[in-house]
Amino acid sequence: MTRKKILGSHVKRLLSGVSEHGRKHLNEVEADLRQTGMLLEEAVDKLTCSFMAIHDAVGARQAGINLLLAGGTPGDDEIARMQAMSGEIGVHVNCAITSMQFQDMTSQLIDRTLKRVTGLRVFLGTIGTHSEGVNAETGSEEIVELLGKVSMALAIQSLELRSVLRKAVNQQHLESGDIELF
Amino acid sequence: MAKTILAVDDSSSLRQMVAFSLKAAGYLVIEAVDGQDGLEKAKLHNVDLVLTDQNMPRMDGLALIQLLRALPAYQKVPILMLTTESSDEMKSKGRAAGANGWLVKPFDPQRLIEVVKKVIG
Repeated sequence: MTRKKILGSHVKRLLSGVSEHGRKHLNEVEADLRQTGMLLEEAVDKLTCSFMAIHDAVGARQAGINLLLAGGTPGDDEIARMQAMSGEIGVHVNCAITSMQFQDMTSQLIDRTLKRVTGLRVFLGTIGTHSEGVNAETGSEEIVELLGKVSMALAIQSLELRSVLRKAVNQQHLESGDIELF
Repeated sequence: MAKTILAVDDSSSLRQMVAFSLKAAGYLVIEAVDGQDGLEKAKLHNVDLVLTDQNMPRMDGLALIQLLRALPAYQKVPILMLTTESSDEMKSKGRAAGANGWLVKPFDPQRLIEVVKKVIG
């Protein structure tokens, strides 16, 4: 192969490597951000519902509560409904507690995204660092060697970044998870 | 006498939710911020159940379980994982480390209490 072709081949390898690694990592960033958005949206919806349901449950018994405060005695039906109110509110509180756990999951997703972005910054910085050794007088053989090193370094960095960023949060919704006793 | 549960999770909001749910059911709850803190608190207190997350700084859940199982006082204490992880591979690792059960987040308070009651009464 001629020097020109060897150089061309290394340049192509480097450029396609940067493009491919960058694309894969940015796809993961996008997926994590979309998942975070979905979980946040569902959490807000469910927490709003829980809040309104608790408000309605208390509001429905307000007349009875006011009567008690005024020293009166609610009827049997109203007393039964007031006694049931605790259980009713408990259901909505449980739903809210499940929804509140969005914070733990989205926090992990955001942390993963930040680490990936930091890793990508280092990844791109590697190209800059290696380019410092190149000037107008640098021979094509040196450049070929340099391009080979940069491509290898980038591939290793990308793999290492992927290996430390295991996906621990796969939840797409805030439904309570499976339980298994061994 | 109320049973004591050690809740280990690096998320303070998650610990709050767990503690709120279990205290409402009459359990005493000791909180730990990660595996290392959990190990230290387990050594200081008589705990009836350990409920631990997996992915935590300093020491993860699997490491915590292995170290607890090496302690004579914790060889028979039930340990449940409460984690976002749901893969069969992780569950197998948890079981091999000594976990007695695997709960995938998010948890429902009622179901959590039912499982805890089933395990320690």
